[in-house]
Amino acid sequence: MSRSRYPVWLILAVAVALLWTFLPMYWVVKYAFMTKSEIARFPPELYPHAPQLAAFYNIFGFDYTAADGTVFPASGQANQIMLGLRNSLLVSAIVTIVTMVVVLPLAYVFARMDFPFKGKMLAAVLLSVSLPPVSTLIPFYTLYVQLGLVGTLGGLVIITLTITIPIVAWLLIGFFKNLPPIEAMGRIDGFSRLYIFVRIIVPMAKSGILVAGVIGFLFSWNEYVYAQVLVTGSDAVTLPAAMSGFLFQVPEPAQLAASLFLSLLPPFFIAFFLQKHVAEMNFA
Amino acid sequence: MPSLPQTAGADPAAAAAAARPPRRKELSNLQFALVVTVPVLLFLLVVVAYPLGYALYLSFHEIRFFGGYSAEFVGLANYKAALADPKFWRSLGLSLRFTVETVVLTIGIGLALALVLRDLKPRWRWLRAMIILPWAVSPYGAGIFFAYFGRGQTGIGTALISAFGFDGTLNLITQAAVIEYLALGAAWNMAPLVAFFLLANMLTTPKRLYDLAKIDRMRSYETFWHVTLPPLRFTLFVFTCISTVLALKTFDYIFTETQGGPGNSSTVLTYLLYQISFVNLDLGYGAAMSFFLLALILGTTGLIYALWGRREERK
Repeated sequence: MSRSRYPVWLILAVAVALLWTFLPMYWVVKYAFMTKSEIARFPPELYPHAPQLAAFYNIFGFDYTAADGTVFPASGQANQIMLGLRNSLLVSAIVTIVTMVVVLPLAYVFARMDFPFKGKMLAAVLLSVSLPPVSTLIPFYTLYVQLGLVGTLGGLVIITLTITIPIVAWLLIGFFKNLPPIEAMGRIDGFSRLYIFVRIIVPMAKSGILVAGVIGFLFSWNEYVYAQVLVTGSDAVTLPAAMSGFLFQVPEPAQLAASLFLSLLPPFFIAFFLQKHVAEMNFA
Repeated sequence: MPSLPQTAGADPAAAAAAARPPRRKELSNLQFALVVTVPVLLFLLVVVAYPLGYALYLSFHEIRFFGGYSAEFVGLANYKAALADPKFWRSLGLSLRFTVETVVLTIGIGLALALVLRDLKPRWRWLRAMIILPWAVSPYGAGIFFAYFGRGQTGIGTALISAFGFDGTLNLITQAAVIEYLALGAAWNMAPLVAFFLLANMLTTPKRLYDLAKIDRMRSYETFWHVTLPPLRFTLFVFTCISTVLALKTFDYIFTETQGGPGNSSTVLTYLLYQISFVNLDLGYGAAMSFFLLALILGTTGLIYALWGRREERK
């Protein structure tokens, strides 16, 4: 029994917040459990009347036979979806690791040291945050054709790094700035810069670093524009690019919803784990 | 406070490192900074300078694909054409409208969510984890969600009015208000992250400040204004900048949600650029116009910094 009761407005506010959070997602994810005729019905159904998992079997290349004998044939895109799932995990993992290895020292140096040309170098980092993909796409595509990087995982990793490095650096610089000035003490004790960074600063900043890493992972996992142009239809396809087949080529709402649902699971899992750490990270 | 490294730790490498005498030669700040930053800066130079240079080249040329590829130097003609193009000004207006609305909604809803989540008692804290989920959705996925959610045929509007016994459809994606609807969805996507950073800030505000406010008999809005808000200002500034840049750059979200429609009522600048460069293959013109977009992004963030950021900057 709780000793003090919540005021009515708070209960209402929480209810509104939950509705706001889940209703738009639910509206599409419910399709994954519905039949084609149910989806096409008008006015729209609020929930699947006979929930079934056909779409999930289909996107992995299996036929599905319902209890009444209806057969849901396997999706023609199954191959792309499975490749996409594997590639997305692979690319995001590599991108996140490389980003963190590169950005941690970079952000640290920019946040806590003074040296000539710092302002100009920082401006270069921040300028790359501002570049819109629609204007960099054609130059990159031309370059990639010449280098033979179109349709390769390596090419996608490189181009995704151009998104994650600047934004993660931006976040981490702000975070490192707020740590207490511990270096001077470490230096007096005779520790090297590298030692101070690896053994003192990084453990102190653990929460902030985790959060920044997760943000980098999500930017990579959710990247669509470059993937659509560079790897669609190839063996290096990622999940968002593979899914777009259900959207534009053959509209298959159930299979689209199922693969979208699938694509949400890893980030949800991570975001869930992340929220414990956000409370400890006060970057501003 | 995290403990300082222990020499007697289980890690032999760490123990060895700590036992070693202090290093004789040390790098200067500049040298250390160069070692760390130069490789990254070179990479960024390539990925910033190369596309910018290439786009600059394109923007001074008329690129043709029919009858073989040809690039004819036309000077500033592409830039002049963009400035004289009513479509450009229309898209610019839509981009600004979308951005202002998205930023205001993102910050406002983020603040509201943070206030709600702050007052939860420990046994309800897991709700905080639920509320952050929309932020993990890709802009691409959010576009799909809000497309089905808003359309007359499949959307919530029709479901609601039919629940009240009306016939017909209620379309939320209309010519008149599609930008507002898009902004709402963009805020749905981004606000949870803002809420979480604000929440982290709020939790560090000492409770006794609220007790003092009570002694002073502040009204609740006064408490919010004088106690809750001041420590949040820097976070609010940072996220105003981030969401401004992201909103001006938004493409995939609009691509999956409305494809610039209905008609061309949500053809924001990025979408117009996509049509020019990828549908019409008018690469020179598209490149020239993209520099106006880049100038807009840099100009807007610069303006926000000049008007607001300078006051919030930490020493």
